[in-house]
Amino acid sequence: MSADAGVRGWDVLAKAAARAREVREESAAVRELLRVEVGGEPYALPIERVREIVRLCPITKMPRAPELVLGVISLRGEIVEVLDLRRALGAEAPEPTRRSRIVVLHGETGEITGWLVDVVNEVLRVPEVDLSAPPGDASELVTAICVRGDRFVSLLEPDRMQSLVAD
Amino acid sequence: MAGKSRKSARDKAQQEFVSEAEELLDRMRDDLSALAEASAAGRETPPATLNQLFRSAHTLKGSAGMFGHGLLAELAHHLEDILDRLRMGRATLGRPGLALLDESVSLAAVALEKVGRAEEAESLAEPITDLIGRIAAWEPPAAEAPGVSLQALDVPDGLLRALTEYEETRLRESLGRGRGLYVIEVDLDLASFEEALGELTRAIQEVGEVISTLPSPGAGNEASIRFLLLAASDLGGAELAARLELDAGAVRAARAPASMAARAPAPSAPAASAEPPEAEAATLKSLSETVRVDIKKLDELMNLVGELSRERTALRALTARLAADRASARIAGELDKIQRGLERKTQELQAAVLDVRMVPLRQVFDKLTRVTRRLRLDLAKDVRLELRGADTELDKLIVEQLVDPLMHLVRNAFDHAIESADERARIGKPAEGLIQIEATQRGHDVAVEVRDDGRGIDPEAVRARAIERGLVAADTPLTRKEIFDLLFLPGFSTKSEVTEISGRGVGLDVVRSNVAGLGGLVAVDSVPGQGTQVTLTLPITLAIIQALLVGAEDETFAIPLAGVRETLVVNASEVQRSAGRELLNLRGDALPVLRLAEEFGLRAVARDQKQYAVVLGIGDARVALLVDRLEGQQDAVIKPVQGPLRTLRGVAGATEIGAQTAVLVLDVSALVADAGKRREAKS
Repeated sequence: MSADAGVRGWDVLAKAAARAREVREESAAVRELLRVEVGGEPYALPIERVREIVRLCPITKMPRAPELVLGVISLRGEIVEVLDLRRALGAEAPEPTRRSRIVVLHGETGEITGWLVDVVNEVLRVPEVDLSAPPGDASELVTAICVRGDRFVSLLEPDRMQSLVAD
Repeated sequence: MAGKSRKSARDKAQQEFVSEAEELLDRMRDDLSALAEASAAGRETPPATLNQLFRSAHTLKGSAGMFGHGLLAELAHHLEDILDRLRMGRATLGRPGLALLDESVSLAAVALEKVGRAEEAESLAEPITDLIGRIAAWEPPAAEAPGVSLQALDVPDGLLRALTEYEETRLRESLGRGRGLYVIEVDLDLASFEEALGELTRAIQEVGEVISTLPSPGAGNEASIRFLLLAASDLGGAELAARLELDAGAVRAARAPASMAARAPAPSAPAASAEPPEAEAATLKSLSETVRVDIKKLDELMNLVGELSRERTALRALTARLAADRASARIAGELDKIQRGLERKTQELQAAVLDVRMVPLRQVFDKLTRVTRRLRLDLAKDVRLELRGADTELDKLIVEQLVDPLMHLVRNAFDHAIESADERARIGKPAEGLIQIEATQRGHDVAVEVRDDGRGIDPEAVRARAIERGLVAADTPLTRKEIFDLLFLPGFSTKSEVTEISGRGVGLDVVRSNVAGLGGLVAVDSVPGQGTQVTLTLPITLAIIQALLVGAEDETFAIPLAGVRETLVVNASEVQRSAGRELLNLRGDALPVLRLAEEFGLRAVARDQKQYAVVLGIGDARVALLVDRLEGQQDAVIKPVQGPLRTLRGVAGATEIGAQTAVLVLDVSALVADAGKRREAKS
């Protein structure tokens, strides 16, 4: 009985601490980022641009399209182009696996585009101050990097991703 | 560049005007229904509502005038006029007055809708002028000014003198009704008096009316401001103070209410109150039976119909499977009957939804008339525009996208084709030039012909220019039609001068791409010296199409059935090579051959097996498209492809078949046009 109460007490404390941390992070501009894995490396996408994440479905090839464009899918009646984020980042592009996902991003005008990634991991909350300029040799799609644990996560810029094909 | 940004700034301002005016009209509609309700219930016309209506009309008049919408401003002006007479008590509303107001607001809304679509409201001139005439002629029963002396009232000095004409009218009206008149004195905190005053006003309106609000000297301390409110109510002074949560001392009676019976409509109440409620209810009904719907909603509806069709297709397949088995053949028969019924209803539904999308070409024609009027002034050329078939209906989306190409053609004809008056006189043509536009429905297509009686186009000059520009080889044999088709090549122009009216060159390639985007075709014919005729052939709708599904390698494509002339089995040997191109001999005609798999890079050349030829045709142009399989027919809703690539030559869009599978829809006109071009290039 008393042990139970003790456990509950700790639980309450832990929750309170977590809430306090959340409040602190919120007060100092926090970016929410979707962490994905592409070619074995961690990348992040701004969550406010992510409309949805869908499992891999049959992709209809677009003839005469650049290699980057895998084709189109029907997303509940909307026809959406799916682009290969792996190729966009110069990574290997093996056959998709069970963990592959299509991240559907929306642009400024509401138009949507699907991007094939290897794995969708989690939503990160990163304080703005933890984002730093990318190294000079990073892909032009990367706007910032941050450290999570012992790894660098590169933040991608959706508009630049779009313009890969548009140009 | 500067012109463009100026234009967009103006468009934006117009847009703001439209949304502001829409709000005003909405509020006016609400207020009108409140008036009608009060009138139907035999209650007094709510003065605050009437006053608000007046102010809305006043604001509408101002901004419509500022944005140059004279008709709308004029209408608002007359509305304001009626409302002013009403609120001043110089007229009583009654049923005819309510009907006039209702009609004015509805008409203003229609006019505004035109403004919103950047159309001129000129076509409304007649109904508006007519309405204004009726408003002016409206002789409302004059309200009797209650003969009450204001001097006998116990109100502070100067307060009566400070009343506006409207306020005085309200005061007399209230007194005439035997209401109590009160002077309410409140000290309000300077920091928040607006809010407090608003609250007090609302509270008073619940039990009476605020006739006037005046700031007054003599507040108790520096941090507050004193207001005098002149209010009328049927309540007694103590009761009113209690309702307003004020000290009894703050509410002073200038005159006590005559009696509680004053709550019932007084004999001098507006005539409307005597009318039977049913008659009033009739005026509440909207005068127009038209509903304005966002085209996107219709698209959604169309999508649903498309999905319904697909379900039906699945049901048909299931029925066929059941029928194949003896054990379930009877059930299959019944299912088939149901399925057919469903099919019929779905088709009716589809037709009904399509019908809603249809609008007459008149909208475009009206615009062309205006453009011509302006061109006549700008170019000082005497040209008559004759329009026929304005009632021909097309899908709203198509009609909208037809404006640009037609405008382009009319400008071309005006500027380049029709000769100057001197020249026309010299060659014996009537002084007045003529541009005729005629729309006719031909089966599932609509043909729009633009004819002029100008100088025409000389095929030899076209050919010479094409050769000079390296578009065709000097020795290429070309038919007359093929020569005129050269006009559509990008950058081709028979007139080198640049004018403000038609921009650089003739730009028929723009017209072609606009029309091709709609799944249509453009053809030119001309007789030098006599005139030119441009024919646009357009599908009636884009929303839903019958599609032929074909397969090449592992892929399936949809082809709009409207572009398919026939399908046939072809053996490899039937395709012949001649002068570097492949041709299919179809009953004596040589059709250029396109191989779908190669065209779309699905496979390297492999020409040994049996294939199917889908004969694509638009107008007179035909192409044999070779495919591996024919996979059946289906209703398809063509949707745009979203993403950075968006358009690919030869692909009109995509559609969904079965669960979650996207299929590309081929752009027949692009394929036919490309095949023609390649032919010229190779030969």
